[in-house]
Amino acid sequence: MLATITVDDEKCNDPLSCCKCLLVCPSHVLGLGTSVGPQKFQEIDTSHFILRGVRFDKCTGCMECVEVCPKNAIQVSFDGGKGK
Amino acid sequence: MCLLCEQYGDSYERWYFNPANYARRLYKIRKEEAEAAGAEANPQAAGGMAVLGRDFLEAKEKGDIEAMERMKKEAEAGALATHFGQVITLDDALRIIDIMYPITLIACACRRSMQGLPNEENFTCIGMGPGMYKWERWPDTYRGGVQFLTPDEAKEVVTKMNKKGLVQSIYTFGTPYLGGLCNCDYPDCGALRMRLDYGAKILWKGHYVAQIDPELCNGCASCIHRCQFKALNFVPTRNKAHIEATECFGCGLCVTECDQDAIALVERSSLPALANEW
Repeated sequence: MLATITVDDEKCNDPLSCCKCLLVCPSHVLGLGTSVGPQKFQEIDTSHFILRGVRFDKCTGCMECVEVCPKNAIQVSFDGGKGK
Repeated sequence: MCLLCEQYGDSYERWYFNPANYARRLYKIRKEEAEAAGAEANPQAAGGMAVLGRDFLEAKEKGDIEAMERMKKEAEAGALATHFGQVITLDDALRIIDIMYPITLIACACRRSMQGLPNEENFTCIGMGPGMYKWERWPDTYRGGVQFLTPDEAKEVVTKMNKKGLVQSIYTFGTPYLGGLCNCDYPDCGALRMRLDYGAKILWKGHYVAQIDPELCNGCASCIHRCQFKALNFVPTRNKAHIEATECFGCGLCVTECDQDAIALVERSSLPALANEW
């Protein structure tokens, strides 16, 4: 069963400086990326950084990421449905 | 001699020893299409470090082999044209450092995406070529910018990384333009992960395969932790280390660890069954 991992971007507004869930996940399921690709010849705005589930098949459902998040921004479920 | 050596090697024994593949000329004309099309606007690609996304995982779960193979082939073809890697040995890396300019230390994209490492702790990759001036100018876009290195400094860094247990590999940015000399490990290297977890050839095997001389191996098992490719294990009944030749990427990390000199690298091309296995 593939995990469905949802991140509320409004609560998780500065993942670059937090990264708590990234560091706590034993299977390295989550990834820090950008919602726009690196724009050539421009500085990247830190507000464009996002946290997403990536390697869903490795998620065991331990929920460490859910518990460690100081903003309650991440949800993990195994009831089917599209993940982000 | 791999496909790339045939296409881009000219008279050099390996394509990555051909200085033409590090040339500014290539950097300037490298393929713009993927970026222009917004391939990097995809959050999974732009930092997710997974060329195969959720569709692939859902197909895998359903056991839809046809869909899986199709998606893999697309990902591999795309990677081969724009951005993919090949494992090299430390000696290869030291030779390459003498060819290219400028040489920089840069932050690792994969480790930032997977571990959220702050830039200061994350300068583990070697960036090569004129693209590095772009990184110098816009450090925030390019993850903290660059530290320019002399060839001797670069060799020292790479040797240290190898000693630490990181695999050296080279990456193209618009094949065959080589822009990165990475120090990879599993699971934080995106390409290593894609290759080992799903068999996606985003990272190619190197030109060597490691072999153990069982008469020299004394069963000390100091090499076992060195393999990032799951090709090396310890066999208690024989009291020997074992290398699965079909899984070996020829990085040489086990070779340098062995006190007994029991492990050697042989040319992949000398083993008929493995000569074309990349």
